[in-house]
Amino acid sequence: MIRLDSTSLVYSDHGRTVHACRDVDLEIQQGEFVGILGPSGSGKSSLLYLMCGLKVPTSGRVSYRGSDLQSMSIKQRDRLRLKEFGFVFQYPYLIGYLNALENVLVAQPDPALRPEAVSLLERLDLADKLDRYPHELSGGEKQRVCVARALLGGSHVIFADEPTAALDHTAGVHVMSLLREHRGEGALVVVTHDPSMLEQADRVITINDGTIQ
Amino acid sequence: MLISGIVALMDSIPLSVKTVYSYAQYELGVSPRGDEKVLDDFRETVRESAPVPIDRVIVCRASSAMVDSIVGKWPFVVFGFEQGDMRYYINKLNGGKVIGRFPEVGAPEAMVSRPVATNLNLKVGSTLLSPDDPDSYSPMPVKVTGIVDTDQWIMFVPIEYHRLYHFPPVDGLLVFAKNLKDQHTLDSWALKTFKGGRTRLYAYQEVQKETDQAFRTLFAIVNVVIASLVAVLTIIMGMLFNIYQSQRVQEFGLLQALGYPRGAILRRILAETAIVLLGSWILAVFIAVGLLVLIKVQMFDPRAYAINATSATNFLYSVPVPIMIFIVAAFDVVLRLKKFDPVRVVERRLV
Repeated sequence: MIRLDSTSLVYSDHGRTVHACRDVDLEIQQGEFVGILGPSGSGKSSLLYLMCGLKVPTSGRVSYRGSDLQSMSIKQRDRLRLKEFGFVFQYPYLIGYLNALENVLVAQPDPALRPEAVSLLERLDLADKLDRYPHELSGGEKQRVCVARALLGGSHVIFADEPTAALDHTAGVHVMSLLREHRGEGALVVVTHDPSMLEQADRVITINDGTIQ
Repeated sequence: MLISGIVALMDSIPLSVKTVYSYAQYELGVSPRGDEKVLDDFRETVRESAPVPIDRVIVCRASSAMVDSIVGKWPFVVFGFEQGDMRYYINKLNGGKVIGRFPEVGAPEAMVSRPVATNLNLKVGSTLLSPDDPDSYSPMPVKVTGIVDTDQWIMFVPIEYHRLYHFPPVDGLLVFAKNLKDQHTLDSWALKTFKGGRTRLYAYQEVQKETDQAFRTLFAIVNVVIASLVAVLTIIMGMLFNIYQSQRVQEFGLLQALGYPRGAILRRILAETAIVLLGSWILAVFIAVGLLVLIKVQMFDPRAYAINATSATNFLYSVPVPIMIFIVAAFDVVLRLKKFDPVRVVERRLV
């Protein structure tokens, strides 16, 4: 489904050359739950952004269902992310002036998906929080709204970058199980530095200094 | 609001001139230079060659008194009329109900119109001209005996009294076209025909022309002031907008990371900005109209000062403000999004 061939990402940070990924070869199958584990600064987030098209590799190739992401225009990559992928970020980003339900619908601006968004929030124990604004939700509730946003529209791949970092352990475990349970047939790629969050993963990849171990 | 207020107040000065002296649009005033006999020649030429039908030519005297304006005292004509011409003049100037009575033959009495009475706070029995008032002088106290209801500014006394006590000691003429719509044609013809001659003509179009010329410099200065104001407001609002957009970086980063195209985000921000600016401008226009109407009712009307509180010109001058702010905002957003990396936001490196 997602394939990386000899993929490298090099960038300059304040005059210092950073090798975020070095010759990564990786394939993720449909429905697979893949965990990417590594210490801070190991390149795991960069790897995730390469897979979802938010970053373009310096060398090598990233493809999704056989289509080369580099050969796509920025607009095509944007469309791919919007239509095919779901995202959960480290910090539970929500739009402040939208309520929980509207924040979920941001992922797929299609009014027909409103019932599905309601259903997702209900399944994530947020049935009574649909009309609450972000400042009225706890950190765990916000992250669950983000999970609902990522799941809306039956995303084919869900990318989660440290989704439990801003949560306590119990809430983190809960979010992970929600992602796993509700992703349907979609693949799940989770980046974390906490191995306990990947106990249910089909496969765990360890990355260090940009290289898969 | 500020710009509309400045424009309305500045505009009120020439508007006041044109309002106070608007009686002149109903007549052509003529005074002789050197010899009163030139008036006979004038009458003859008008009778034989005027391009429009003439309603009446009346003999009058004219001196001056002072009226109040927002920029100080202005001289205003005090006509001396014969009894029959007083009534004709009022009818010609659409005069309505008269409070009091007309001045009697030769008496130190005056009739004024409603705006003059309001402006000078006159009532029937008040003194219009006085030996103690060098600006509105008459050797005998001249009392107001009547106030006529018309929008035109008018003051007149009996011609017999005027001839005995007022300067200059020469008769003049007022020439009225049969139809008011022809008065301008008559005035233009007379100004052209008697140019360089021994008559001095007083036509409303001259008042308009001289007023426009006199205020051209003032309005040029006002334009510079307004342009400076627009620039300052644009810079201030542009900086505020920049701060506001900085606070929305998370939102833009999130939307872009989720897959919203940069163009769609840009269009959305610009549409929001346009709606906010348009809404604010419309609200400000309504508030400005309200304040200007309040100023007019509370400050201008009681003194019969002229101001156009609802003139479109007042508000057209403020149109560049939202347009300039929109341009600055668009420039700011385009620059911001051009260099924008959503990953830096979702990784919390830009918040």
